[in-house]
Amino acid sequence: MRSTEEPVPVAGSPAEAAAAGDTSKSAGFCTGTGAARPGPLQQLHRIALVDVNSFYVSCERAFDPALAGIPVVVLSNNDGCVVARSDEAKALGIKTGEPWFKLADAAPHLGLVQRSSNYELYGDLSSRVMELLGRYALWQEVYSIDESFLGLAGTAEELDTQGADIRAAVARHTGLPVCVGIGTTKTLAKFANRIAKQNKHLGGVCSLDTMDPEVVETIMSRVPVTGLWGVGAKLGKRLGALGIRSVADLKAADPALIRSRFSVTLQRTVLELNGTSCLPLEEERADRQQLIFSRSFSVPVTTAAEMRQVMSIYAQQAAARLEREGQQARVLTAYAGTSHFSQKAASFPSVTVRLQSPTSDPVVLTRAAVGALEDSILEGVPYTKAGVMLSGLSDAGAQPVFDEFVSAHEHRHIGELLGKVADKYGAASIGLGLAGLSSTKPDWTMSRKFFSPRYTTDWDELPVVRAR
Amino acid sequence: MPVFSGNTPGTSSRSQAMSDGDAASGFPSPSRDYFDGRIDLNRHLIRDITSTYVVRVAGESMTGTGISDGDELIVDRSLTPRDGSVVVAVLNGELIVRRLRLTGRGIVLAAENPDYEDISVSDPAELSVWGVVTRCLHHV
Repeated sequence: MRSTEEPVPVAGSPAEAAAAGDTSKSAGFCTGTGAARPGPLQQLHRIALVDVNSFYVSCERAFDPALAGIPVVVLSNNDGCVVARSDEAKALGIKTGEPWFKLADAAPHLGLVQRSSNYELYGDLSSRVMELLGRYALWQEVYSIDESFLGLAGTAEELDTQGADIRAAVARHTGLPVCVGIGTTKTLAKFANRIAKQNKHLGGVCSLDTMDPEVVETIMSRVPVTGLWGVGAKLGKRLGALGIRSVADLKAADPALIRSRFSVTLQRTVLELNGTSCLPLEEERADRQQLIFSRSFSVPVTTAAEMRQVMSIYAQQAAARLEREGQQARVLTAYAGTSHFSQKAASFPSVTVRLQSPTSDPVVLTRAAVGALEDSILEGVPYTKAGVMLSGLSDAGAQPVFDEFVSAHEHRHIGELLGKVADKYGAASIGLGLAGLSSTKPDWTMSRKFFSPRYTTDWDELPVVRAR
Repeated sequence: MPVFSGNTPGTSSRSQAMSDGDAASGFPSPSRDYFDGRIDLNRHLIRDITSTYVVRVAGESMTGTGISDGDELIVDRSLTPRDGSVVVAVLNGELIVRRLRLTGRGIVLAAENPDYEDISVSDPAELSVWGVVTRCLHHV
């Protein structure tokens, strides 16, 4: 779909870019943040991106009010480095990825409090948030453990109210602070979310339909292009060489030129900035923190038996992906949702399961995925989407080459491991199944010294309230 | 396999389903049909799973209302606290359980034990209600 127009490196206005752009896709250009504003009563379909602010830290704070208002960091597997920071910790100049051993000595002087990653807690709170968000949406795409795209409809004013309602509901149900960005495309929703996050006076909600268009333009001209979803530092540098430095610059760029010089992906970003939705609503994605396998169905799934099959297939595909990446997961989330065509039977179950130990074993993951949703699927309800999310990912370490003729348990050297553990902790410390276990917490795989209780998932670690 | 969300926080009913090889292989267990009628405490005690938490009591200040040291409380964070609600409140960075009293002279976190004093909250902005207690799981 190459444009026949001459490439215009950086056009002066969105309208110009639209004129010069890919005509086959330009139908939606005027629906963006440009001059054509919807009337006050016009029913709009919009995309919201809702995410939890400093998710891991906020989870810790939800059950420990003493952490409010002070610098808090959450550490990675084995307490290696910082993976999440409170605003107060960011203000101290602490960076994501900073090794803990460099901070440990100074922490008491800084008033800095550290926590080990508590995936059980984060996974459970994530499930609660996702399930709750689903109730407010026409459709839902869980994007990561703490982010979800939602389909919203209403007048511009109603969308503002919905955003505020969503934010208040999540705070009330879980104690977690979220920001809501609302726009015509995913890229714009994400950008609006960024505006909401960085401008406290907006109250955590930014809907581009009700923002002053001039203000949006100004913000876009000030935010560097690397502030956009999917535009990294390297790409930013290459764009800079063409004079494309701000978000506004990229928005005004010729999509055809961007495609020929960069990629289809970046061309999509340009189109999305101008209001043409082109990012698909489902995909397989993975990063260092999580892996998501999610699809929409062409024919709705209406029985629990069919859903078991779907979950089984997704879990096995996710397992294969983990195996390829040499990773293991600690937490599995299974979810499903109905489409907005069946609002009478809206159902968005989301259930998170803690795996007994980090694993990439397809058998274990399949059982977990199938079992997780077992009691939540309503018979007869048309589900149009389902997914499996794996989080708490860690490197599997040195693994033998996968051999499908070796049983799952053999290839993980279970026997050898049993022997080692028994040598170190005594014969009663470990056994197959329930045999010979002296304690219920075989958590010998990770060092997590600053571990908060598993408040919501372990009966022995419930939050304590004082009756004093 | 431990399970920790959906409708079963802190119970093991799901673990049965998950260790059940039948489910994984796609064949529904025939026994399921017979057990649909069994009482499900989650259904009766939990109004909304997304906002319901279980907490454990430490202390004696609420014994007069049947809440003892070591009891578990079911707390719904989404309910609006009213005069007379037993609430979990945040006070000095700590979660405490008290009865909320909205009086003409201000907000009081009342104890239910004569050995303990009521706590007057002079500035409403200082008080944050964490959740409303809906049930007490009392150890008899």
